Amino acid sequence: MANSKIAISAATMIAIAAAWSGPSSATSLSSSVVAEVAVETSAAEVIKSMADHAMNELTDQSLADDVRRKKFVSLMDRYFEMDVVSRFVLGRYWRSISKEEIEEFSVLLQNYLALNYANQFKEFNGEQFVVGDQTQKNKDTFVNSQFVRPDGPPINIVWRMRVFDDSYKIIDVSIEGLSMGITQRDEFTSVIQQNNDDVSALTAALKAKTGL
Amino acid sequence: MKFRALLSLCAAGSLSLLTACASTEPAQDTSDFDPIEPVNRVVHGINGAVDFMVLYPAAMWYRDIAPEPVKTSVESFVRNINEPLNSFNALLQGDPEQAAASFQRFIMNSTIGLLGFNDVASDFGIPYRREDFGQTLAHYGIGGGPYIVLPLIGPSNLRDTTGLAVDYVANPLTWGAENSDTAEALYLGSIGLSALHYRYATINQLNELQKSSIDYYAALRSLYRQQRNTLIRNGAPAPATAVEDESASFDFDDAVEAASE
Repeated sequence: MANSKIAISAATMIAIAAAWSGPSSATSLSSSVVAEVAVETSAAEVIKSMADHAMNELTDQSLADDVRRKKFVSLMDRYFEMDVVSRFVLGRYWRSISKEEIEEFSVLLQNYLALNYANQFKEFNGEQFVVGDQTQKNKDTFVNSQFVRPDGPPINIVWRMRVFDDSYKIIDVSIEGLSMGITQRDEFTSVIQQNNDDVSALTAALKAKTGL
Repeated sequence: MKFRALLSLCAAGSLSLLTACASTEPAQDTSDFDPIEPVNRVVHGINGAVDFMVLYPAAMWYRDIAPEPVKTSVESFVRNINEPLNSFNALLQGDPEQAAASFQRFIMNSTIGLLGFNDVASDFGIPYRREDFGQTLAHYGIGGGPYIVLPLIGPSNLRDTTGLAVDYVANPLTWGAENSDTAEALYLGSIGLSALHYRYATINQLNELQKSSIDYYAALRSLYRQQRNTLIRNGAPAPATAVEDESASFDFDDAVEAASE
């Protein structure tokens, strides 16, 4: 019943970013016109530049693990709208905590993600990251991309982006149809629910995981 | 025979229940519905223990010992044995082209592909597509219903469990197994190989998920739902309506609004 699609782990999400090189196929600029705000760079270009950064900064094998994680966090700061992501993964529970607690949670979340994904960049080897076209659905721009592996079918990755302060920021990533934001939200809200709707149970668990 | 009759009866019963909530659009479940969660968590725990003792070590051994060509052949075999059902369900979904493609794959791979161990059809440009009766029901708008963790099999829901029962009854191999020892051996063998293959195919990712997650059960539940949604729309991007709905309880718009407050 398990299907290989479930096999695409969250980890690949970031591994791909390590692999960007080569030309992008057919970036559709027309769709960016739909965005209400005039933005300088198209969504697809933002993804390309993020991939370049990740490639340059994270794949160095001599990096210490904690340094790589720090660089990973600062890349997230730059390209993700963490304010929105943090609230999204908390689901309706974001209301039950203060602004300071959300900020604390945001830092924990970033470190938790770095812990899970930053090391994937170490194993970067011959894969290619190709940015494709972008489509507009409702308020969001979806940038299609592919992680092309030498030893298997390519993995489809879709970046969900929205304009904040005149530039595109990432709010979700889907790998082969599996949304990281939604998966994380479903898991986190379940943890909170299991603990009598107490958000601090989740933050405690994240602290334990990240050692912060 | 009694088992088949009973299974058919159960399937028919839940079918009539499920069809009551059918609509014209393919179903896309947007949130977890888990009314029997305590029971599911217990079964999830038992499955994990059984997996740890039997399937996991077998899959690890298979991963480390079996050479790549063997793994490719096994994958082709377990896919091929499923082709009659893929074809049958594609037909039920009103997609005769895909039904023909699956049937063609079955004939080609079973003959020149040597009993399905070689996927020659893919080389001829006919790609594999999995269709099961759960997807067929979803195609006609039937939602997943309550989440169910099946013993040994794992994540499912009422709709897909019904689908499993229908697929079991409809599978020509299970008919053959009634009358022929060879067919029975082939059927049981294919189940064993499928279990081994799919466990192997997900081993690294599930290890990773188990290690990183805080609530492994909830993460699996969410991934199962999303993965079924993707299979139901045959890998196509989610339509705009489903994008908005995919996080019905609290979507990105809510989060953006919340962040700007």
